[in-house]
Amino acid sequence: MTECPVCGLKLEQNSLIKNELFSCPDCGAELEVTEINPLEVKEAPKEEEDWGE
Amino acid sequence: MKIGFLHSVIRPEEKYLIEEFKKRGAEIVMIDDRNLTFNLDKNNFDFDIVLERCINHSRALHSLRLFEAAGIKCVNSYKVATVCGDKLLTSVALKEHGVPQPEVRIAFTEESALKEIEEMGYPVVLKPAVGSWGRLLSKVNDKDAAEAILEHKTVLGSYHHSVFYIQKYIEKNKRDIRAFVIGDKCICAIYRTSDHWVTNTARGGVATNCPVTPELNDIAVKAAKAVGDGILAIDIFETPKGFLVNEVNYTMEFRNSIKTTGVNIPEKIVDYVIKAAKENGKQN
Repeated sequence: MTECPVCGLKLEQNSLIKNELFSCPDCGAELEVTEINPLEVKEAPKEEEDWGE
Repeated sequence: MKIGFLHSVIRPEEKYLIEEFKKRGAEIVMIDDRNLTFNLDKNNFDFDIVLERCINHSRALHSLRLFEAAGIKCVNSYKVATVCGDKLLTSVALKEHGVPQPEVRIAFTEESALKEIEEMGYPVVLKPAVGSWGRLLSKVNDKDAAEAILEHKTVLGSYHHSVFYIQKYIEKNKRDIRAFVIGDKCICAIYRTSDHWVTNTARGGVATNCPVTPELNDIAVKAAKAVGDGILAIDIFETPKGFLVNEVNYTMEFRNSIKTTGVNIPEKIVDYVIKAAKENGKQN
């Protein structure tokens, strides 16, 4: 169990994997999983100029 | 079989691919480009192949070059990433291979760019040579807009915004086509529909299935071959005179296209990567 770094919502590990992006179900902040056992998250990196396909 | 999975953040596409590799029993070594370093004197990697799924073009490009220098086969290759990552180089490759595309002109100063735009006639689209997801595209409808945008790009942009890639605007009736090519085949395609002239799904374009006709397969595969072959997403305009290739993407996103097309895109990608690794193993 960890908290959203933006709104503090308690987050649970579902089927998340390391480095996966997901949105906080409460505030919608985009987060990245940094550890899975136990779950740790941080705000996702901001989009950079060379991001894309 | 050991797959080097080059990534940064894990998006739905990467998760689908990881699940698919696991189904095949392939061993995946996750390579986070944020932690990746190279030592040119000691590079010794224990992978059969690297699948590139970076989100940063610059990291993908240089990592692929370095992995290939260390003797590792990469999908897509450094050459493909180089060509597809730069719209100017893509256009040159398409031209050299006789693949139809919208009229394109290149200029390096505000003055010469404006001269070319005036000669082409309005509207045109100014695009950064390197960029994706429809970012910083400008539809230029008249000379006033052209002068303003060219000046802004020159003054406010980094140096590569002064390489002016100018494409004739194509009236596309609110949609274009995204065709997915793996190897020698267009496996599926979607229409991307939007009221906005930018139809990227990253910008709100809605995906619906697009039947793969022989004509569509033909131009999509030709475009893929032109940039060097591999796993590629080809953006195509429909015009009264036929298809025109707009862009080619080398780290394709497909989350909106699996259910839409009914094609298991990650399964096809993994098939291709495993086959490429086996073939490479036989050669070595």
